[in-house]
Amino acid sequence: MIKKTVGCPNCKTHIEIQGEPGETIIITCPKCETKGKYKFPVEKQKIETPSYSFSIEVENLTKKFKDLVAVNNVSFNVKKGEIFGFLGPNGAGKTTTIKAILGLIHKKSGSIKINGYDTIKNAIKSRKDVGYLPERVSFYENITPLQTLNFFSELKRYDKSINKSLLKEIGLEDAMNRKVGTFSKGMVQLLGVAQVMIGNPSVYILDEPMAGLDARWVKIIRERIKSLNEQGATVLFSSHILSEVENICDKVAIINKGKLIAEDTVANLNKYLKMKPRLKITIQDLNGVVPVIIRDLEGVENAEAKDNILFVTCESNIRSKVITKLEDAGFKIIDIKTIEPSLEDAFVKLIEGDT
Amino acid sequence: MGIFSPKSIYSIAKKEFLDNIRNRWIILLTILFVILIIVFSYLAGGQAGGDGIFGDMQNTVFALLGISSLIIPLIAIILGCLTISGEAESGSLNVVLSYPVSRGEVLLGKLFGLGSVLIFSILLGFGLGGIIISATYGAEAWGGYLAFIGLSIFLGFIYLSLSMCISSFCRRRITSIAGGIVIFFWSLIYGSIIIGILYGTGYSFDNFLTGNVPDWFFGSVVFSPSDAHQTAVQLAFGEKTISAMGFSITIPDYLTMELLMLVHIVWFIVPLIIAYFLFKRRDI
Repeated sequence: MIKKTVGCPNCKTHIEIQGEPGETIIITCPKCETKGKYKFPVEKQKIETPSYSFSIEVENLTKKFKDLVAVNNVSFNVKKGEIFGFLGPNGAGKTTTIKAILGLIHKKSGSIKINGYDTIKNAIKSRKDVGYLPERVSFYENITPLQTLNFFSELKRYDKSINKSLLKEIGLEDAMNRKVGTFSKGMVQLLGVAQVMIGNPSVYILDEPMAGLDARWVKIIRERIKSLNEQGATVLFSSHILSEVENICDKVAIINKGKLIAEDTVANLNKYLKMKPRLKITIQDLNGVVPVIIRDLEGVENAEAKDNILFVTCESNIRSKVITKLEDAGFKIIDIKTIEPSLEDAFVKLIEGDT
Repeated sequence: MGIFSPKSIYSIAKKEFLDNIRNRWIILLTILFVILIIVFSYLAGGQAGGDGIFGDMQNTVFALLGISSLIIPLIAIILGCLTISGEAESGSLNVVLSYPVSRGEVLLGKLFGLGSVLIFSILLGFGLGGIIISATYGAEAWGGYLAFIGLSIFLGFIYLSLSMCISSFCRRRITSIAGGIVIFFWSLIYGSIIIGILYGTGYSFDNFLTGNVPDWFFGSVVFSPSDAHQTAVQLAFGEKTISAMGFSITIPDYLTMELLMLVHIVWFIVPLIIAYFLFKRRDI
C-alpha cells in the first residue's frame, strides 16, 4: 500500500490518497469537488549490478593458437582509477591478452571480468562502459570522421550531438567533412582516440596507442590519457615505449613468452630487483675504453664506456671511491651524474632473467 | 541466433550503406550495368524485329539474363567477400566488436547494409531500363519484369550470403578474394560442366538439339544459384521453352517456380547460418 499527498489542480488543496502500485483511482477534491485520476507508480525493479573493486580482473587466462601457447595462465587485476601499464617484448602476448579481455578472441581457459561483469556470461554488459583503441587502428575509408563517430555513438546509444565538439577538441575540425581514407596515420590515430572517448567510459583499454607516431602526436595522446585518468577513469595501457609507461602508469605488469613475470609499481619493481643507480661520468679522452682500475674495483657490478662517457653500476658507499680512483689515475673528469634505475633496466633484467 | 537489437543492426546497416555506396568499384559496375541494360534493350528490339528502338520487356529480359546473372553476383561478391576478413585484417572490426554489440547483430547489419547497396544498384539499372522500354515500346509483360527485378535482388542476396560465408571463413583478404573468384567462376563454368557430364554419359549434340536430355539435366540447376535464377526468370514470364542458337529445350514439369524459390531460399539461408557460426567462433 502506497500513501501519497497530491494537490488539487484547481484549488491547490492537499489531498491524502492511498493505493496499490499500478492502481488507478478517481479522486474528488473535498473542497471544490474537482474530479481527477491518479495512477500509483509501479516500483522500479532494482537492476542487479555486480559489486567490484577492480575494473579489470583476469584470472588464469590461457590462450592457445593450435600448438602455440600465446598466453599461459596469466592473472592480474586493474584497480578502479588506476593507470596500468602492460609491457612485454614483441610477441609476448600483450595484444592477445587485451583481445581476450574484450572477447575478440576465444580463450582456452580462465575468467575475465570488466566492471564486475563476466566477459562471456555478460558479454554485452561487460563492454558497455569500455573504450578500446587497438594497436593498428583503422576506420571506414569512404565515410567522414563525423559519420564514423556518429556510428560508434549509435552503437553505445550515446548522444551524437557532442561529436562535432569532440572532433574539435582532438584537433580534427578542419577535416570534419573529408573522407577518412584521405587521413594520415596520425589523424587516424587521433580519430581513434576520439572514438575511445565516446560515452565517457570508465575503462579505457589502449593497445600501443603511440606506436609509429611522431613526437607531436605522442605528446597529445599522452596528455589525453592523463586527463582521462584525472577524471577518474581506469586505463589499461600497453606499450613498448618504456619511458612513456614509466611516466604515466601507477602500476605495471610485464609479460614474456605468454607468462606474466612481474606485476608491481615501477618503484617496487626496481626495489625488488635490487636495481642500483648508475654513475654517468664524462671523462676527457676516454674513447670508449673502460679503465682497468674501475673494472677490477671491489663493489663495482658493471662498467660500460661509450665514447667519453663511463657508466658504472655500484653500491652507493663506493661511489666516491670510483671518482677518487679515476682522478688518482689521471683521468680528467668533466661531469658526474647519478642515473636512477629506469623501468627499462628492470624490464631488461626481468626479460633476460626469464630467458 | 539469440535476441538481436534492431537498433544496433540498423546502425551497422546504415554505416555499411554509406561506406559502400561510395565504393568506386560499385559505382563503376552500376554505371556499366545501366549502360548494358540500354544496349541490350536495343539489341533485343532488333532481335524481335520491332519498330521501336528498344525491345519489349520480355525480349530485353531474356537478352539481359546472361549478363545480369554475371554482373549482379560480381557486385555482391565485391561487397561481401572482404566484409569480415578485410575488416578483421585492417583492424576496424576489432573496434566495432569492442562495443556492446553481438556478432550476430554485426553480421545481420552487414547483410542488410550491403544488400541495400545491391538493391540500389539493381533498382537504378533495371528501373531506368524499365522506364525507357515502357516509354518507347510499351509496358507489356511488366509483371514478369517486376518478378525479374525481384529475382535479381534475390540472386544478389544469395551471392552476398555466399561471399560473407567465405569472408567469415578466410583469415586473410587475399584468400577471401580467391574464394570470391571461385564462386564467381563456378557460376560461369557450371553450365559447361553439366554439358560435359551429359556428353560423358553417352548423350550427343543431336540429343541436345532435339531436347532429348535426361531429367537430371534440368534438376542440376539446383547446384548453381545463377542457373536456378535464369530458369526462375524464364518461368516468371510463362516461358517453359528455352530457345537458343537454333534449338529449344522445354523445362520439365517438376521444375516449378515453388521448387526454384525453395532452391533460392536454401542457397541464401544455409551460407548465412554457416557464416554466423564461423564468425561467432572466429578469433579477430
